[in-house]
Amino acid sequence: MSDRARNIVSITVIVVMAVVLFFLVSTRPATVDRVAEIGSRIKCPVCQGESIANSPSQMAEDMMDLVAERVSSGTSDEVIVDELLGSYSGAVLLDPPASGNTLALWIAPVAALVLGVIVILWWRRHPGQDVEEPPPPGRSRARLIIGGAVLVLVFAGIVVFAANSLQDRPAVAAGAADLGEEDLSDVSNETMEAVIAANEDDPQIVGMRLALAERYFEAGDYRSAFPHYLEVAEHPSATDPEAITALVRLGWMAFDGNGEVETAVRLIDQALAIDPGSQLALYVRARVLWCGSAETEQAIDAFEGLLAQPDLAPETRSQIESDLDAARAGESCP
Amino acid sequence: MKGRALRWAGLAVVAATVVLAVVLASRFGSDPSLVDSPLLGMPAPDFDLPGLDGSEGTELSSLRGEIVVLNFFASWCLECREEHDDLVAASDSFAGQDVQFVQIAYQEQATETLSYLDQAGSSATTHYLADPGSRTAIAYGVFGIPETFFIDAEGIVVGKIIGESDALVLGATIDSIMSGEQPGQQITGDTQQRPDG
Repeated sequence: MSDRARNIVSITVIVVMAVVLFFLVSTRPATVDRVAEIGSRIKCPVCQGESIANSPSQMAEDMMDLVAERVSSGTSDEVIVDELLGSYSGAVLLDPPASGNTLALWIAPVAALVLGVIVILWWRRHPGQDVEEPPPPGRSRARLIIGGAVLVLVFAGIVVFAANSLQDRPAVAAGAADLGEEDLSDVSNETMEAVIAANEDDPQIVGMRLALAERYFEAGDYRSAFPHYLEVAEHPSATDPEAITALVRLGWMAFDGNGEVETAVRLIDQALAIDPGSQLALYVRARVLWCGSAETEQAIDAFEGLLAQPDLAPETRSQIESDLDAARAGESCP
Repeated sequence: MKGRALRWAGLAVVAATVVLAVVLASRFGSDPSLVDSPLLGMPAPDFDLPGLDGSEGTELSSLRGEIVVLNFFASWCLECREEHDDLVAASDSFAGQDVQFVQIAYQEQATETLSYLDQAGSSATTHYLADPGSRTAIAYGVFGIPETFFIDAEGIVVGKIIGESDALVLGATIDSIMSGEQPGQQITGDTQQRPDG
């Protein structure tokens, strides 16, 4: 590079740095008014990147009034700012604190500026030092291509990363309409009982009630499960699948707990009246007939009818086939 | 040799710039209003606010010994309207169980809030309060509404819901506080600022 070109580049870089510095300094608050100065450091919580001193919002106005009141009562600047930090955290500061995770934001621009000045000064004092033996043309071109590809990849990586970050906003959890669809895995039975008791009239509690009943049922606690299944089965807001599940479980508990085969079949038939193709209802009905009565032929017919359904899950089909074989062989149900 | 050193220095600057860009880009998606409230685990800021209808107000310290559900709301807030029925029902349900519901009108004239409550319904056991100058909203660091704070019987802020709450969330949170737990902060949805700023 010629001396003239070198001078032009150096002057351009220095001018750009000076302009950037000028804007950085000129945008700092140049006010002597304490209220405005403090207000210029506090970010309006309901605005986008505006200070409470500059925002026309009612909230910013209220916060400025608070700052003015504190100033007039002799409170120090730091105490006022700390009071707001105690309510809003560091998110209310326009300038991030020069400590902790945000320290790099303060150091990096200064370090880059210093490094840039050093490089320019060194470059100017050592003209010609960067000129080396020219590499073979093929090697130079290969370097250029590889270097360019690396730069493009790095840039693309940054863009993709930034785009993903923008999409990774915190997920919005379900609202009131999804009361029965909340993730209940971390909620204890006692908590669910309390919530249900407190919201008995809320139609959206049915889903939670059924989930709790299923927990009791799987644990073999029929006594606790029974009233919840009964509520779900009789609740006008219960969906068809919820009502069917409740009726079938009630039927099975009537048989398994009390040996009441007729009651069990009647309850399960109510479920089948809602959906004649319910696999759960058909299977449990077949098992009740097999296990609870001498009507093995009816049970075999029921198992065979179920197996004729094309959309059975493989494990369900396997279980039915096993039960059917056992029933045909005259074995008692397990 | 010096030229090579210069080249390495240039590469170092580029690398440092890339690292800084990545660090800054990683913060693009974060919403500053969703930070954990610094009030969690701290004594709840006291207040003594007038009733919306000008009646005798409520002082928070007078509710000490009971769990306080403190909700900031307004008629212009759609999410607040969505959660309103559940708040009313929960307040009625927990009446007499050492749980007090306090709803503070946020950035709204009391007459407008009262008109809304007349239309939407209210709970006889809830304290509906005005907040002149938004002093209490500022003390609680409200970014937008609805925001609901849970204060235990000792007067400590033990929970906060950002966004719309419902019967399940309210019931489960109160229940966990009754069990001596500190539910912490939950984000259930969006919050809203006053449409006209």
